[in-house]
Amino acid sequence: MRPRFRFEPYVQFMQKAMAREATYRFDVFTSVASVLVRVYLLRMVWVALYARNAAPSELPLHAIITYSTVALLMGLVMDIDQTRLLYEKLHTGGIATDFMKPIIVPLYLFADGSGEVIFHAVLIVPSLLLALLIVHIDVPGPLTLATFFLSFGLGYLVGFCINFILNCVAFWTLEIHAMQLIVTWVTDLFGGEIIPLVIFPAFLQKVAFALPFAAMFSTPLLIYVGVIKPERYAAALGLQAFWIVVLGLIATLMWRAGAKRVVVQGG
Amino acid sequence: MHRLRVMLNVYKQYWRINILTTLEYRENFLIWFVFTFIYHGSAVAALWIVLNRFPSMNGWTFRDMAFLYGMWMLAHALHNTFFSTVGDIPEHVRDGEFDRLLVRPLDTLFQAIATPGQVFPDELILAVITFCAATWYSGVVVDATFLAFVPLIVVGGALIDLAFNLVISTVAFWFVRVDALRWIVVQLEQEFTRYPISIYSRGVRLLLTFVVPFAFMNYFPARFFLHKAHEHAMLPESVGLLTPAIGLLAVALAYVFWRIGLNRYSGVGH
Repeated sequence: MRPRFRFEPYVQFMQKAMAREATYRFDVFTSVASVLVRVYLLRMVWVALYARNAAPSELPLHAIITYSTVALLMGLVMDIDQTRLLYEKLHTGGIATDFMKPIIVPLYLFADGSGEVIFHAVLIVPSLLLALLIVHIDVPGPLTLATFFLSFGLGYLVGFCINFILNCVAFWTLEIHAMQLIVTWVTDLFGGEIIPLVIFPAFLQKVAFALPFAAMFSTPLLIYVGVIKPERYAAALGLQAFWIVVLGLIATLMWRAGAKRVVVQGG
Repeated sequence: MHRLRVMLNVYKQYWRINILTTLEYRENFLIWFVFTFIYHGSAVAALWIVLNRFPSMNGWTFRDMAFLYGMWMLAHALHNTFFSTVGDIPEHVRDGEFDRLLVRPLDTLFQAIATPGQVFPDELILAVITFCAATWYSGVVVDATFLAFVPLIVVGGALIDLAFNLVISTVAFWFVRVDALRWIVVQLEQEFTRYPISIYSRGVRLLLTFVVPFAFMNYFPARFFLHKAHEHAMLPESVGLLTPAIGLLAVALAYVFWRIGLNRYSGVGH
């Protein structure tokens, strides 16, 4: 028996999550401060590296500094585990009552996570303004910028699916913290958040581009700095969409199997 | 004298419990080992990838940077193994456990350090292996000076870590939640110890040398052993051997702050 779908409750969930996040003011301050310190740090690192070595032709110094800065700003949104609520609900057992409510639980989790994300997305504005005091950022043309935002959105969905899958593992193991951290480190490295994948050695580049993590950071960022040219936009976005479908499928299967377990345990 | 013997005894018991716990949870120990390995492995891999493309960072090669990393890792792991319990103090303050330490007839800080938990020596073991490998790989000459000073420098580096850990935990007497502050300092330490500080502007270099002396954990000692005299011309190469003194000084200052915080805490009378 499925209740008729209504949209409003999910908007409410989203607003509630935003209000909840707004209470952690000191965390807000630390996120912005940490981004600024990292902007400075990465600028110094790239300047030092470009000063003594031959620069890669596809990424001149100003492009790589732009890349790093935009990556750090994206991180404000992307580095959030939007589905942590699922893990918490599995621990407290609250998930059982959620199943009884007339809501689609994964969509509830998505709405809650998105509320948190939107709140953090607002932080991009002050971070960006302050970052501009430290570095100069290139701004691409309108077509590239629009494609970047589209690709960023797709990257966000890839990240959501990965987080959702990880949190679903808690249906079986309850403890997922170590695994999540490991995935975070792998994403940091192979997602191209800190080091652009195009400067990886050839064989590692092949590996990195074949993994879904590249769809999170690398694709939108390479579009932004112009390494991915307009004629390849469709292919790049298509690959991101492919990962959303694959990971979404895995997430759905795991969710179904996990939800059954809850029902079985609940007796 | 008697008091010292008691403390030594307590401390021995503390490690006995830790080791028994490690043996009890052998699987956990192995998991943590793999976990620590992946963490440091991905950090070194990132360094390697960058320096593979850009072979020189301000005159430092990947071999030099490996030694820089190994030195920091060893000091940091030593701190994490012996003093990480200091970081739990804010939690004890929050849940009221801390008041129990105050009424016992032993130094409060010592008790906090010797609070049994799950302290696995996995990171220290890995750090010793990494440091030895990095020393060999970077071609640093292992002579009498090296053998005499490296243990002292590593202890000094761990003390610098302890000083910051203690200061942050002391702040918890005023502000109950210090997680965000701790997170920031841990992040900054990781980032600013990874590269030679000569790549930063003058102000940041002075900050890392005199205010938050992370540069003494690995940069100055590494500069000494790698003979990079041309670097950072304002200080001579031999300041790299001052790390033990800096560590002691930092802990002494942190301890004064801790006493102030502690007096204030008992004054309030929870």
